[in-house]
Amino acid sequence: MSRALSYTLIAIAAMLMATSAFAHHSFAMFDQSKSVSLQGTVKDFRWTNPHVFIQLLVKAEGGSEEEWSIEMTSPEHLARVGWRPGTLKPGDQVTLIIHPMRDETKGGQYVSGTGPGGPLIGSPTPSGEGK
Amino acid sequence: MGASAEMPDWSGQWENVGATPDATGGFNQSLDEVLKTMQWGPPNKPEVQARVDKMVASERKRLAAINRGEDPGGAVRACTFGFPLVMLDSPLMFEALPTPKETTLIFSSREIRHVYTDGRPHTPKDDLWATPWGDSIGHWEGQTLVIDTIAVKSPFASSESEGVAVMAFGDVEGAQTITILSPQAHFIERFRMIDKDHLEDQMTVIDPTNFTAPWHLSRTYQRVAHIHRMVYEDCEGEERNPIVNGHFTLAPPPSSATSQPATAPNSAPSAPSPAPQ
Repeated sequence: MSRALSYTLIAIAAMLMATSAFAHHSFAMFDQSKSVSLQGTVKDFRWTNPHVFIQLLVKAEGGSEEEWSIEMTSPEHLARVGWRPGTLKPGDQVTLIIHPMRDETKGGQYVSGTGPGGPLIGSPTPSGEGK
Repeated sequence: MGASAEMPDWSGQWENVGATPDATGGFNQSLDEVLKTMQWGPPNKPEVQARVDKMVASERKRLAAINRGEDPGGAVRACTFGFPLVMLDSPLMFEALPTPKETTLIFSSREIRHVYTDGRPHTPKDDLWATPWGDSIGHWEGQTLVIDTIAVKSPFASSESEGVAVMAFGDVEGAQTITILSPQAHFIERFRMIDKDHLEDQMTVIDPTNFTAPWHLSRTYQRVAHIHRMVYEDCEGEERNPIVNGHFTLAPPPSSATSQPATAPNSAPSAPSPAPQ
């Protein structure tokens, strides 16, 4: 089972009382018990530190468009998986699996996805194995 | 300029075995597997074990809260690992650059370890202060670099006397304290290539203040796949997770235009504007 933790979460001796969390960000923002499928169009693929984001336009009920912010890990980590700034482009039709935000914010943590060319890098293939 | 022919070739980018990232932000080994590989049983003195147990209980309480769907808060942003974490359970990649008088280990967090092999002793006490990476000197035994490090302080502690907590990643969120080192901790490493795709660090931590005996650890590193140059983590950049009242939040993207594609070098110059009439 993989450790679903990006970067570091360090509680150090000096912070024993406070149990603080050190990280780029916190996975506590996302509901890890839920997985939501979002189908939409990439508005922007923001390849930037500290974390990469997919800005996704999703058609809501009634036909309006909603913009979702899908948070990924750092460019350094994604590059080691094989992603690059051009892996997704504006206009790409994708289906993403995310852990949604716990509050009402239209956002979530990237889990896996399918793009124009098939499963996105590192996503399970139809046989069920990761690439 | 070039390395001596006797210097080993450690060129390339390296990562901790077990810390290969995946696209979700996770890694390929569980905490239990990593701890076993690290030979994680530090010989803590009873009073140190009591402190560690308290920290672990606190960390697990925090993790349980998150698993219940709560955000316990208390978030603080930090982007520095320090030594020995950069060598132990780190998600970073690094380059190891040996030269006759100094070997540098350069990490993707922009942290650098300098190991001086020019015969100097450790920095004299009245010139020495503790840093997150310590004071490292070394010597070569064949193709093995023997590193001796002192004067390490936690990157987060407000004073040296607080010592350094050695952590490992936890599940979902929540590191697990392995041990706490005193400011007197002394590290001996034997760093070498074990085959063309693996490096190894055999580390001994000598800390009679906190340990009943020296602590031996073993860490291996493998070549990074999919990228063959150094790229850096950076806490700066486009901050989308501001901390509000101790909680990380998600902010919308900047209101400026969408990201521009990378400009190719040697682009053709644009056509000249028509001359004014």
